[in-house]
Amino acid sequence: MQRLYGVWGGMMRKNKLDKSKLLALGDRFRIYILFGVIFIFMSLFAPRFFNSYNLTTILRTVSMNATIALGFTIVMICGEMDLSIGRTATFAAVIALTLQKKFGYGISVPIAVLAGAGVGLLNGILVAKIKINSFIVTIGTMTILQGATYTITGGNSVSLSGDKVFAISDFLAKPLLPMLPPRVLLTILFVVVFHLFVSNSQWGRNFYMVGGNRTTAWLAGINTDRITITAFILSSTMAAVAGILFAMESSAATLNMGDNSLMYVVSATIIGGTAMSGGKGGILRSVVAVLSLEMLYTGTILFGFGNEVKIFISGLILALVVLYEAYASYKHEKTIGQRAVLLEELAQAKEKI
Amino acid sequence: MSSENLGLALKMVGVGKRYPATIAVDNVDFEVYAGEVHALVGENGAGKTTLMKMLAGSFNDYTGAIFINDKMVKLTSPSIAKSYGIGMIYQELSLAQPISIAENLLVGRLPRKGLFIDRDKMVSESKRLLKTVGLDLDPLLPIEDISQHEAQLVEIAKVLGTNPCILVMDEPTSALSQEEVERLFKIIAKLRNRGMAIVYISHHLPEVFKVADRVTVMRDAKKVATRNIGEVTREEIVHMMVGRSIKELFTKEKREVGQPRLEVKGLSRYGFFHDIDLQLHAGEILGICGLSGAGRSELAQVICGIEKADAGTVLLDGEPLDGLPMAKRVLRGLGYLSEDRKREGLALRLAMDDNILSAVIPKLKQGVVYNKRSGKPKAMQLIEELSIYPPDLDRTAGNLSGGNQQKLLLAKWMAINPKVLILDEPSRGVDVGAKMTIHETIERLAHEGNAILIISSDLPELVRLADRVIIMRKGHFTKIMDQSECSEESLLLAANTEVRV
Amino acid sequence: MNGIQKVDTRALQTNRFSKLLSSIGIYAIAALFIVLGVVLQSMGIINNFLTTQNMMNIVDAVALLGIVAVGMAFITYSGHYADLSAPTTIALTGIVSVELLRFGFIPAIMGAVVVGLIIGIINGIVIGKFKANPIIWTLAMSYVSMGVIRFVWVNKQIYPDVITDDPFPVMLFDNIYRFRFFNAISLPLIIMLVLVVVGQFILKRTAFGAQLKLTGSAKRTAKFSGINVELMIALAFIISAFTTTIAGLAITSLSRVGAYYNGAGYDFRAVTAIVIGGMTLAGGRGSIIGVLGGTLVIGLMNNIMTLLGVGTFSQDIIRGAIFILVVGINAKTLRSMGRDDA
Repeated sequence: MQRLYGVWGGMMRKNKLDKSKLLALGDRFRIYILFGVIFIFMSLFAPRFFNSYNLTTILRTVSMNATIALGFTIVMICGEMDLSIGRTATFAAVIALTLQKKFGYGISVPIAVLAGAGVGLLNGILVAKIKINSFIVTIGTMTILQGATYTITGGNSVSLSGDKVFAISDFLAKPLLPMLPPRVLLTILFVVVFHLFVSNSQWGRNFYMVGGNRTTAWLAGINTDRITITAFILSSTMAAVAGILFAMESSAATLNMGDNSLMYVVSATIIGGTAMSGGKGGILRSVVAVLSLEMLYTGTILFGFGNEVKIFISGLILALVVLYEAYASYKHEKTIGQRAVLLEELAQAKEKI
Repeated sequence: MSSENLGLALKMVGVGKRYPATIAVDNVDFEVYAGEVHALVGENGAGKTTLMKMLAGSFNDYTGAIFINDKMVKLTSPSIAKSYGIGMIYQELSLAQPISIAENLLVGRLPRKGLFIDRDKMVSESKRLLKTVGLDLDPLLPIEDISQHEAQLVEIAKVLGTNPCILVMDEPTSALSQEEVERLFKIIAKLRNRGMAIVYISHHLPEVFKVADRVTVMRDAKKVATRNIGEVTREEIVHMMVGRSIKELFTKEKREVGQPRLEVKGLSRYGFFHDIDLQLHAGEILGICGLSGAGRSELAQVICGIEKADAGTVLLDGEPLDGLPMAKRVLRGLGYLSEDRKREGLALRLAMDDNILSAVIPKLKQGVVYNKRSGKPKAMQLIEELSIYPPDLDRTAGNLSGGNQQKLLLAKWMAINPKVLILDEPSRGVDVGAKMTIHETIERLAHEGNAILIISSDLPELVRLADRVIIMRKGHFTKIMDQSECSEESLLLAANTEVRV
Repeated sequence: MNGIQKVDTRALQTNRFSKLLSSIGIYAIAALFIVLGVVLQSMGIINNFLTTQNMMNIVDAVALLGIVAVGMAFITYSGHYADLSAPTTIALTGIVSVELLRFGFIPAIMGAVVVGLIIGIINGIVIGKFKANPIIWTLAMSYVSMGVIRFVWVNKQIYPDVITDDPFPVMLFDNIYRFRFFNAISLPLIIMLVLVVVGQFILKRTAFGAQLKLTGSAKRTAKFSGINVELMIALAFIISAFTTTIAGLAITSLSRVGAYYNGAGYDFRAVTAIVIGGMTLAGGRGSIIGVLGGTLVIGLMNNIMTLLGVGTFSQDIIRGAIFILVVGINAKTLRSMGRDDA
């Protein structure tokens, strides 16, 4: 609420609603507006969209990418990039299911989560300490993870069977509360925890500070390296958790299950307003954006288009989003260093004419 | 003055700092009483900022002794300096742009309630801090949404929030409007009355007279004098800042001034500079003098085609250059030596010959083949002319000393066989020997009938070289001064004056 | 002034390792791999290393990867890391060429080249002009191309001999990969060698190469020297897309099918070959000859690992680790020279 007040306060400060402030307001809330528009449009026009079965399906499907987006958003807030998220999800899922056969979930799941955290630790150290560009590092780990996943499984999908396994999978998928199966509830819990952590704790705010201006953060005594490493660990860990839960629900892990997540999560996070330059954005916005995209994709399927259209649209959306951000900062760069005095002078001269 | 009763807050005895090539601060004694505003003035490169960085803990290899409240301290890191109550307001803003005002103000010490941040307290504390600098902003706005001068005040509030006992302000008014400057002065007065020791670094002498109790003048890394403000005039300070003990040895030779080579008519890049006219003749050296941020470099970049003009036209030897990219202008003999040697001038990872020939690549083309070898004799000749050491074309530019790098940069632009050369701070941060070589070379170039435009903050350089000097202020030319009127004093006064022609 | 001056030699000392890896050194490493292969064979650990057939396999694999790597090296040289849209460019141009075989061989080739160039031009404009991050943009571009393939061809794989009844263009198309001069030297090998020679010439002997070097080493300095850096960067991406298109034709000819998965993995393998060939990701360093060496090392390494029974996927792990290691060492070296990026 205070945030809302902040924006309005900023607008009303000079007692006039000028156009740029209004645009800024729109920009700030664009993701919630977008969400509303897509939801209403799909509810009105897409066949079989607005019913509890479909909405539950959407929530179940979105759980994986929403969970991945939690940690990934933190990495982006820090001004870094983690391209390995999708492969980390697959990697952890495959470990969890493969080891389940020997030790059961009780042991295999913690190991898989730790493996995910280990990937993040590696990424973080390479970025923060060795100071390699995070895009490059995570392309490297992406390849390594792909290799590791295929090596573990021998190139085949892993699927489990047995009453116990199916019981767990059923439990995760069946609605506990209306429309909300435990897996979705778990995701909501993650979202709440991460939101509180990022927006309201000292640690969380430090991510913003490091992404906003690393030098300022450093001068203020913040251990910037540790913040960066933490961000990568959180990103990989949440990706791992997302992959494991998805695999547990379906009792199977395919080798490309996480491949599309990268595209979804990157587009959603940017659409949500988390800039690649860092220091901006938020958990809720990313989650709402993931949900919006999922509704959009589900809608296209419901309109009768095939899966191909969905892939086509999602690729196009990522491209447009990246292009938009690049273009906006290209435009912004042109105005850096302008003097307000001179612009006012110019405006006055124009008024005279 | 009552303030002296409160005792010395800061005493620096015989402090010094040397960089590999130069001595930045040389055996300086400096004292500030609690409850006084002590202005520190001097030309660019006089050592003011280095002296204060020393105080802020930026160096761990300074010499001499520093006493704070009569206790000797070793200020070897920013956090140590902070722990002794030293607050520093830097020239460049150190705020995180996308982050809210409140979090910038309270960075590293956000109020907490249990696990979480106490937002209400954060907001109220920020409001209190903002009020001390007379701002009434919503603390939750990000820095990028407020204007630059508001940000400057936020920066001040941020430092005040750490309750310093010694406050250093480095050019705090450069981005402020007149009204805000007044407000800042009131704040400074209030802080002084509370017993804070304030060091105020500035170029703007009128401000110094308004705000300071005492003034220390620095020149060439040394302290010239400390005076009470009531006992000194503006002219005396200017004289202390620029006065050379030895008169310049060089008598300026009269050059033949010929046809106009470069003409600029009504040139504007909106928001950077407006409506600029100038004529530059063959054999002439024209200086542009102004404080940083006056739009000097932006003007040069538009003239040479790096950025596009919004209005106006540029003529080289009577032919319009409008719409031509920089490469074409370079081919016609228009060169621009940028002020930022490391980022815009040289490719530090490449060899000297690559650097010298970097602006003439299209000229050395034979068919599709780039014949680097054919450029080497010319490059070698320039290296000898400018006595660049070591004279080794394969040496990486980054391994040269600052002075030799600067000469290398000049060589790069001489390699284009220029007709008109725009030199932006051509001798910034170089040693005396390199500076002499550069100045002699510039004069020789002019003598050969080239036209030279020098943009410089180094007043002796302008006085020594320029035939005419244009004063630029806030994006406009405010005054043109002939050689006979030019002295360091008159230039400094003119650059500080608001009047427009 | 010209007295004794101390010259900073730190950079020269720390540079030795990357010097070792650059152009000449990489061939020594390739030779070491050959020796390793021979030793392993003589010890009986692997079989069939020193056979004509195996050598030809190595050369063929190196030829395909080399074609991609030579073009992508221009991007790396310009300081823009890599082109992650290479695999889908390979797939898309391959599919387009197969589809257009129905109009004959020449239209098929032309069509593929046009599609490849369009991709290169888009990449060039977005990255050169608007300064989008090259990695994330080319990744986005790869998803778009993939989307186009899935959208237009709806998961169908298309076969040259199904597309057209005329056996002549199909025969020509099959021979892009299979034609061998004197029954030994394959067409892709010739193409790659030509590209290496031309690429080396462009990079080291033309004005474009010199300007690209300056752009890659110090972009702002290049801009302030009158170089049209936007155009230089765009051209680098266009060159990369062009050679990738050639690879796309060869790979599709090899597999005799146009499908979306053709070309998978070529992006990462190419950039690994480039960096171990001595071209640093910071730009402006290295040579095409070095990249050829890097490709050779990758080819030999893959071959020996395969003969040792290391699975294709486990090889990814090793390649990834080597990539990160080399990039990390380069980053450390360059940082001690005052450049703060990888």
